[in-house]
Amino acid sequence: MTSANPQSVADVVTAGEHLRPALTPGQRRRRPRIGRVALYVVLSVGGFLMVVPFLWMVLTSVKTLGEVNTFSWLPRGFHWRNYVEAFNVAPFAIYFRNSLIVVVGQTIPVLALTSAAGYALAQLPIRAKGTILNYFILLLVVPFQVLIVPLFLVVRSVPFAGGNDILGHGGIGWIDSWWALIIPFISAPLYVFLARQFFVSLPTELADAARVDGVSEIGIFFRIMAPLAKPAFITIALFNAESAWNGFIWPLVATSSERLRPLQFGLAAFVQSNSGSPQWPFIMAMSALATLPMILLFVFGQRYFIAGLATSGIKG
Amino acid sequence: MATLTDRAAPAAAAAHRRGRRPSGVQQARSRAGWILLLPALVHSAIFIAVPTVIVVALGFTDTRIVGRGSWIGLGNYVKLLGDDTFRKALLHTLTYTLVVVPVGMVVALLIAIGLNQNIRVRGLFRTLFYIPVVTATVAVSVVWLWIYNPSTGLANEVLAFFGIGRSGWLTDPHTALPALMVVGIWQGLGFKMILYLAALQGISPDLIDAARLDGASKWQVFRNVTWPGLAPVQFFVLVTSIAGSFQVFDLVYVTTGGGPANATNVLNFDIFTNAFARLQIGYASAETVIMLIFVGVLIYVGRLSQRDRKEL
Repeated sequence: MTSANPQSVADVVTAGEHLRPALTPGQRRRRPRIGRVALYVVLSVGGFLMVVPFLWMVLTSVKTLGEVNTFSWLPRGFHWRNYVEAFNVAPFAIYFRNSLIVVVGQTIPVLALTSAAGYALAQLPIRAKGTILNYFILLLVVPFQVLIVPLFLVVRSVPFAGGNDILGHGGIGWIDSWWALIIPFISAPLYVFLARQFFVSLPTELADAARVDGVSEIGIFFRIMAPLAKPAFITIALFNAESAWNGFIWPLVATSSERLRPLQFGLAAFVQSNSGSPQWPFIMAMSALATLPMILLFVFGQRYFIAGLATSGIKG
Repeated sequence: MATLTDRAAPAAAAAHRRGRRPSGVQQARSRAGWILLLPALVHSAIFIAVPTVIVVALGFTDTRIVGRGSWIGLGNYVKLLGDDTFRKALLHTLTYTLVVVPVGMVVALLIAIGLNQNIRVRGLFRTLFYIPVVTATVAVSVVWLWIYNPSTGLANEVLAFFGIGRSGWLTDPHTALPALMVVGIWQGLGFKMILYLAALQGISPDLIDAARLDGASKWQVFRNVTWPGLAPVQFFVLVTSIAGSFQVFDLVYVTTGGGPANATNVLNFDIFTNAFARLQIGYASAETVIMLIFVGVLIYVGRLSQRDRKEL
């Protein structure tokens, strides 16, 4: 509960498995083997159940449209063409592009804003610092779903946007624009908190040395401290990429035109539009493509994901 | 949150230094601090703090999506009391929460304990259990919709394999909500498990060895060493799980649209319908406030139980 360095937490969590002292042969012989076998069986069955929906998704995605009219466990052949054809039955290419724009458009400012605030709260002398930190923590608890309705009104009444006057009346503001999809999410209390926890653990000597050399305070942040915060940046970027890519209810509420529609919204709309005779192989192919990037991101960035969870959870 | 007060110490020290030696350097640092802090602070005020206040205020008005509403006091709340759809939605949400949260927590803890044994390929298992967490709820809901398909879905074939009769799953009002609970438990398992696992690995093996040497049974070790060691993470898992299950929306929107016969109409879906289909912003805001109160109460009760346990 003392230091909260995401890197060190990651090390503890992931390296912990190597640190456990190996059992000596004598100890191993004494253990009841049957218990270990049962443990592996239970875990394997559990792990298999977790991925069954994904296996079923991929298996269905390579069946032909006619094949799914009756039940079959395995596809007759691998009809990979579904992955190409699905792009022709709905504008999935646009949906993918839109999600990518939203992810990048949110994540870059998120990194700048939250790391700056986290650094300021951790290392610079600001009056009422504790109060401000508690304010961020309080906001962290507010569920996003609570904000949907008022956020819609706030975004609709942005002054001078979308036909609005100075008081934010008369038009639609940022509704149905890229602004609506990006600006409300260019910072988040959770990431400010994560960044602060990281910077708190960094020594102040480096900054002091730079200060003596005449580097400005803002310069110290950008040139000395920010480069040191790479683990925190990766954690925050991964978290935000995931929530931006997977987001659904806000785009559903805040956009109506198809040219802005992100992937999850597009997928849900596609499912509903052909609910009469659903083209399951196409739907499963697009679901597979919609989930794959986040699975890859998690598999390769696992230690940062876990570090972030551990920092926000156990230390919180 | 205990750590936060600890962290106030350096801040106090800095303030003390500043008080004694008000130098240009200190002023520059303070100014830089505000410059770096301000964008995130202003952003959070506009897009989180102010909207939270707005939603409470709107709950006392009859605002519709266009035009201005007027103050109607507790009118919305009185109306909600007599609103059968709302009462059912609240009941569905509570049922969903009271099943998904405890079941999910127990199963996640058991898996975490299993993974915390000295087993091979722990990383692989951890990844398998965590994948549903990082994948989009919309995409996995679509997959479950297909699995639950009454005529050619996987779920009925599995039942048939074990010689059990077919089910209508999401099309049957009796099975629809339980079917969604299964998805909820499945998707939330990895998140809880990984937090438990991190906490378990934080418990000193020396402590466990010492208890063992003193002749403690496996159960006694769990009860007196492991369980207290999990206390900090238990509360966090509980809070995030309750908040998460109260917020369930994507799953319902994609799979059932609140049906059949309102059987899966949960609070959040009802709020969405009232706000953006019936366009009754004020009414939906009052519902939101009630949701917020319920989440707060459940978390408070969870916290009390936590405190009791510590005193024992």
